[in-house]
Amino acid sequence: MLGWYLATDLAGLIDRQRFPSPSDVVAAGSQILVRGYAGGTLLIQALYSLRLVVLGFVVAAVTGGPLGLMMGLSRRFEAFINPAFLLVRPIPPLAWIPLAIVWLGLADSAKVLVIWFAAFVPAVINSYTGIRNVDQTLVAAARVHGASSWRIFWDVLIPGAMPMIFTGLRLSLQASWTTLVAAELVGAVFGLGKVLSTAYRDIYPAMIAVGMITVAVLGALTTKVLAIVERRTIRWRQY
Amino acid sequence: MSDIVFDRISKLFPRGGSQFAALADVSLKIPDKQFLAIVGPSGCGKTTLLRMAAGLESPSSGSVQVGGRPVNGPGADRAVVFQQFALFPWKTVRENIAFGLKCKGVPRAKRDQVALDYLELMGMVGTQDNYPHQLSGGMQQRVAIARSYAIEPEVLLMDEPFGSLDAQTRTLMQEELIRISRVNPRTVLFITHGVEEAIYLADRVVVLTGSPGRIREIIDVKSIRESEGWDRLVSEDALEMPEFSHLRARIWRLLRQEMQAAPRSTDGKFN
Amino acid sequence: MEAILTGARPNRVELALFSLAGTVIFFGLWQILAMSGLVSKFVLPSPAEVILAGLRMTVEPFAGDTMQGHVLASLTRWGMGFGLAAGIGVPLGLAMGYWRVLDAIVSPMFEGYRYIAPLAWVPFAALWFGTGVGGPVMVIFTGAFAPCVINAYRGAQSVERHLTEAAWTLGAGGVRVMMEVLLPGALPSVVSGLRVGAGLGWQSLIGAELIVVSSGIGYVLVQGQSNLAPEIVISAMLAVGFTGLLIDVALRFAESRIRMRWGQTT
Repeated sequence: MLGWYLATDLAGLIDRQRFPSPSDVVAAGSQILVRGYAGGTLLIQALYSLRLVVLGFVVAAVTGGPLGLMMGLSRRFEAFINPAFLLVRPIPPLAWIPLAIVWLGLADSAKVLVIWFAAFVPAVINSYTGIRNVDQTLVAAARVHGASSWRIFWDVLIPGAMPMIFTGLRLSLQASWTTLVAAELVGAVFGLGKVLSTAYRDIYPAMIAVGMITVAVLGALTTKVLAIVERRTIRWRQY
Repeated sequence: MSDIVFDRISKLFPRGGSQFAALADVSLKIPDKQFLAIVGPSGCGKTTLLRMAAGLESPSSGSVQVGGRPVNGPGADRAVVFQQFALFPWKTVRENIAFGLKCKGVPRAKRDQVALDYLELMGMVGTQDNYPHQLSGGMQQRVAIARSYAIEPEVLLMDEPFGSLDAQTRTLMQEELIRISRVNPRTVLFITHGVEEAIYLADRVVVLTGSPGRIREIIDVKSIRESEGWDRLVSEDALEMPEFSHLRARIWRLLRQEMQAAPRSTDGKFN
Repeated sequence: MEAILTGARPNRVELALFSLAGTVIFFGLWQILAMSGLVSKFVLPSPAEVILAGLRMTVEPFAGDTMQGHVLASLTRWGMGFGLAAGIGVPLGLAMGYWRVLDAIVSPMFEGYRYIAPLAWVPFAALWFGTGVGGPVMVIFTGAFAPCVINAYRGAQSVERHLTEAAWTLGAGGVRVMMEVLLPGALPSVVSGLRVGAGLGWQSLIGAELIVVSSGIGYVLVQGQSNLAPEIVISAMLAVGFTGLLIDVALRFAESRIRMRWGQTT
């Protein structure tokens, strides 16, 4: 970090047009915090982006998690869904952006769609793996005690799959943020990605840095929240 | 000249919140070409001592010198044979044995030849292209020993090398070691739990106490062995010799005293 | 619910039938939906149209080149970026695993860098290296770099201590230890990291190509979108997915061969 400061601010070693110095970044940061940039202050832009991420993430979790669970439970269902899933799965989420734009225009819904897809795949895969990997002896023990299928599902399989489900959720969250930035870079009217793309066009490297840092911070924060939820839910596991 | 000199060695390890003394004021001289065995209860610091000679650990106070030069770190003049063999799993037997020579820059033809010679010496001809996991424990340890011998080190440091072998293999390996060291004598520091093994193999036996490690007694086995005439016997015959039994009993008594008097270590368990 | 709950496993034929049903229903619904006119042709082309568009692009150039040409351009960029990431990342990770000092210096920088989405680097990359080749290569590099380093690092750390100690006592110096002990010892982890890095690099590539280039599959996607030609877009998407899949399969294969050859060491 120190090297960065020295090289840019003091020695002027690196062209400031191309690479921001710490003081530049601070200046840009205060500018966007107070006066706003590319249409709004930092807080507004950040919240806007945050909203999209959370929306896409939650929908993906709610759709992907159960789908994965069902695929894990029933091999027939898995066989049924697999072809479609395998076709769609290797497509990088970002590659959906043009299609989403064709379908929904440059509106927010296009971005949410792409975020949804990016978060969907890890959620499915991890809940599938989670439920598949539940120790079979536990299931056998439950059945021996006369538990009904439903009860086995709720009391044995779901809790057993939880750790992996949460891993999947964590990956989904990461993917959501990455995709958001990309989606907003491609075509946004508002939000952190817009900050980034405008800063790029204005050749304002310090602002680019501010945008990137904000994304990183928000990403870390949301991950933290998820971790807290996880800890509350999986109280039986020792960390 | 490659003698080992430990001068007033102490070693402290941080453990929990305090210091744990592994060794306390140990001084020992191993003259050139002597085979010295160290026996003692678990945790008395014998491995630490060996590692210091190897240059893998440094003393908290005191000094270690090999061949008159202070030990600064590991090197090819002091080869180590580890209890876990430490063979490179991705190299063939031949490549393992030749490794030290490769580090020295010996050309390939020459070092392959040396490897094959050692395999012949060990009675393992034909295994040069096998990988370690394809060999039995005894064979792996033989390769490990060959690997150390191949670089012709001045000093050989062996840390319970036969500890993970079954009893029969161990006996055979002991005899093999004697045979090799007669062909190729060098200074050897040999750590073991086995009292009989120590008496059978060594010129001198050092009994190390419990923690902190201190020298309890040094027994000159060689002179007894030679005067009684059993230094060329196979192990089962040597075991029958009365002096052997006396030595064994003597050392065992020392060890037992140490174990009964062993102070508890900081975690409350016996070492 | 059968498999897990009762332990019974439906037989292969039955499963195959289900898959077949799934495929048929998926494409069938798609085709019907497209043909029904319920959804505009500009939104959802039929599967047939997608395939046709894809085939046509292998013969007729679109947006500057044929489909193969674009794929090749993308692959070349990917290859360069990935090659750089692996070539720098793996030795760096191994070295960090070996020299604690290096680890202490590099780790904090690395942790900070790691959380920034590779695509967030696009503006910088374009600014510094331009949009032709350098920019995307840098973005791919950023995507592929982290897994390469991290897996090499963890792999190096997982090598048992006495193997490195044995090497030292046989006279090996730092570089030799890295090459002959750490690298082979860490290899399973390294290859796994390469595979992940390759995938991430490919994804980052596509992202970068959406934004800043004038050739390659990503460009096809953008052009298809701005021409409102979803059949082109979808066929390009499938091409992207397929190529990515090929890369992954190839690396998985390499990974399993390496594991076999070294007899699954750890």
